[in-house]
Amino acid sequence: MYKRYHIETAAAILPSTKIGKFQIIREDKCLNCGRCQELCIYDVHKRDAVDPRRMAEPVSYLCKNCFSCIQNCPQQALKMVLSEESKNLGNSYWMPEKIHTIWNEAEEGKIPVYGAGYRGPFKGSGFDLIWTDMSEIVRPTRDGIHGREYIATAVDLGTKPSWIAHFERLSLPRLFQIKIPLLLDTDGLRLESKNLVMAIVKAASELRTLAFLDIQSYTDELEPYLESIALRIPLESIAAINRAPWKEVNLIEIILSQKFRIKELEQALAELRKHNPQALLSLGLASPFPLEEIFTQFQEKRVDVLNLHANGQGRTLDGNDFIADSIKRLHQDFIKKAARDEVTIISKGGIAAAEHVPKLIICGADAAVVDIALLVAMGCRVCSECRPESCPAEIQKLDPELGRQRIVNMVCAWRDQLLEVLSAMGIRDVRRLRGEMGRAMFYHEIERESFESIFNNGGLRK
Amino acid sequence: MKVLVKGNAGPRFLNSVGKFRVSIGEKCFHCGLCVELCPARVFERKEGFNRVFVTSPARCLGPRCQQGSFFCQKKCPVEAIEIETDPQWKTLGDFRWTPDLILTTWQQAETGEIPQDGLEYRVGNSGGGFDNFDFLIKNSSSPSDQEIDKIDTSISLNRRREGKKISVPVPWYGAGMSFGSISLPVMLARAMAAEAWSTFTSTGEGGYPEELIPHGPHIITQIATGLFGVSEETIKRAPIIEFKYAQGAKPGLGGHLLGDKNTPQVAIMREAVCGTSLFSPFPFHSVYSVEDHKKHIDWVKIMNPESLISVKVSTPSDVDMVAVGSYYAGANIIHLDGGYGGTGAAPEIAKKNIAMPIEYAITKVHRFLLEEGVRDEIVLIASGGIRTAYDIAKSIALGADGVVIGTAELVALGCVRCGNCESGRGCPRGIATTDSELEKQISPEWGAHRISNLYSAWQKQLKILLCQLGLKNIEELRGRTDLLRRINE
Repeated sequence: MYKRYHIETAAAILPSTKIGKFQIIREDKCLNCGRCQELCIYDVHKRDAVDPRRMAEPVSYLCKNCFSCIQNCPQQALKMVLSEESKNLGNSYWMPEKIHTIWNEAEEGKIPVYGAGYRGPFKGSGFDLIWTDMSEIVRPTRDGIHGREYIATAVDLGTKPSWIAHFERLSLPRLFQIKIPLLLDTDGLRLESKNLVMAIVKAASELRTLAFLDIQSYTDELEPYLESIALRIPLESIAAINRAPWKEVNLIEIILSQKFRIKELEQALAELRKHNPQALLSLGLASPFPLEEIFTQFQEKRVDVLNLHANGQGRTLDGNDFIADSIKRLHQDFIKKAARDEVTIISKGGIAAAEHVPKLIICGADAAVVDIALLVAMGCRVCSECRPESCPAEIQKLDPELGRQRIVNMVCAWRDQLLEVLSAMGIRDVRRLRGEMGRAMFYHEIERESFESIFNNGGLRK
Repeated sequence: MKVLVKGNAGPRFLNSVGKFRVSIGEKCFHCGLCVELCPARVFERKEGFNRVFVTSPARCLGPRCQQGSFFCQKKCPVEAIEIETDPQWKTLGDFRWTPDLILTTWQQAETGEIPQDGLEYRVGNSGGGFDNFDFLIKNSSSPSDQEIDKIDTSISLNRRREGKKISVPVPWYGAGMSFGSISLPVMLARAMAAEAWSTFTSTGEGGYPEELIPHGPHIITQIATGLFGVSEETIKRAPIIEFKYAQGAKPGLGGHLLGDKNTPQVAIMREAVCGTSLFSPFPFHSVYSVEDHKKHIDWVKIMNPESLISVKVSTPSDVDMVAVGSYYAGANIIHLDGGYGGTGAAPEIAKKNIAMPIEYAITKVHRFLLEEGVRDEIVLIASGGIRTAYDIAKSIALGADGVVIGTAELVALGCVRCGNCESGRGCPRGIATTDSELEKQISPEWGAHRISNLYSAWQKQLKILLCQLGLKNIEELRGRTDLLRRINE
């Protein structure tokens, strides 16, 4: 029977994420008249359950900033301030707004929809310097909510030959299809927690994608999900490892340290090929440029995937480049060599919102790897320093089932938002978005194009 | 011009929101000096009380008072008065609509005058686009009333040789906001204000309520992709027909009215079955080319040959081609709706990321139409995030003829931009809702007066600005990018 890819969402409420952006303060001069209760349509104000003559403490996290109670209190006894708890979430990249958004997505699996126009700054840094395009006159890509599931989101990982050299020696390419252009990563904040690993791996299995896992974190409980695990092994420990999982997984990623020996890598690749000829081999490195050299050197050996590792804020370790820019260059380099389809390019780090996925793909990636966002979906607040023993969200105690559902919800919301972006452009397959830089507007280019002739270096024109 | 709307335009809430928090400490012995000193009437000695109360802290002018001889904090014999920035202030507004802009828009709606109390009423804090532009003013002295009176702010909405000549006395008209996305009293308020100012407002895609018929000559009928509430009658009634291809807040995406918002009233207006979800698809399923688009226009012209045609599109990278296509299809107005535009509900990802900001689009389209030699035959209207008189002037300086106003009118009616138009019962402030109880908060007359006052304040600002720029009418400002400068780069 025909079955189309479908993500099953369900409400997954996590009390530790009930942090409002606003705090309502009821001052002592309150006369308990109850006007605020009449006016509030969000149930922030209620009478005290025990003593109904009194108003209860406001339930601040339900407040939606409408000012109705504040502007109508006969005693001017109500005040609204920004909630300290909300302000302290995250950091300059993982801003409180982003964390709240992921929490909402993880709870319901729905696209964030609000009224009123865009309220943020004109531009930012990184992904916030890119706008995606739309088409005014297109063939409809979807009708309503259900039709849009006909937009294809699957991508193939692996190597495709650029051309057929010898028909007689033609072998089918090794490809692994993931159903959404998103891979999950258990690396995140480098927390050791079986519960969290289990939640992520199960989610990957359900979503029919892969979850990256360090070999040290592998436990026998994960065996039923081996198909959905992308095993990550540091180059120097490959020779020493003789455990079952790496013979059965679909993708193995070799982590290269900054100073590795080519010889050693060559041996490792041969070894892995011998024991697991079906697995795709991936190289993970923090800098895009050696990656490209390595790939050229190993073209015969066919590394299938290049995974550019950036830090949590999307910056690569050398040169402090932003991933979008590094991916752009890497993609273009491969195009120049007419070898782009011979490798799959993915990137990890800094993917913090749904819009980052299509933007990274527009810059040339085949798919994005999500790490910290998964932890945020499970309640993480991206504190400046992660101390598991004093985690405010007690994330290590999370029920893996709840964690799995929240990740699935978040990914569903992200997939649906990807569909919005694709349908606005009239694109019916995410593979056609890769490297389509003409379908995006980049701040510096468009600013120059529009205003350079008007303003000369910000100076005055006669 | 003479404005017809009369009556109360004061605030409809007990308490105002202000920038400063004023408190009296325990040392106070209630001498009442502050009550006498304060020009803003922050303090009050109430009848029957032997005490001083801080009754209107929102009026406090803050540290700007310091120079004056009436600065209460310094004059208080026991230093009991404390003035600080109210932490509540930071909870109001956002980068685009700063607390200053919201408050000054409320002030203008109340008084019809240019704000005088030092709050920033010209630009927001988004750090780019309009907020990074300023005018190069040669003569910043305030012009005399006589000079101001001579300035003409009218624009023509039909620049083609054929067809009806329609002009509006101010370079703006009202945006399409559907019945359902806003309440009937708000629709009426907008229509009455449009009538008073001889400009227009648009039905949006939600039908043409009967109550609007008396204001018919000032109502634009919008034809959007769902064709909700569009009939031969509503097309024949309208002086301008607006084809909405896309909306800036959700470019390239359709609309979706959830079943429970499709109340019996809404359903009648939209000629739909109540309780069902209503989809407004993207795009027009009968338009895949400029030729198809022309067919649409011809179809309307047969029903209503007198009407002007406006084509509302959003801002893709090829918006210039779209504009020229609309010109060749016979449109009188090309209306660009940028990404900051308002909406009853739209995916956040679309508002922030899809299609370019309006500032780029105006520049691009204006230039292209000039190069194609057709600029003087079509009216270019910009919308989507036009908040102030200065945004209007900047749009025109970049190359638009005029603008369309949406959110600013709602702010005039008391919108705080909380963004919860779509959740639960709708707008808690009674604007973007069809909840029978919530919508009672606004009377059409009060609303019309507020909007009309805002228009009045804006027109004054535009006239003064034009005087200062040495121009006689608003049409002379069009495309004068040489009068703009960037604040930071």
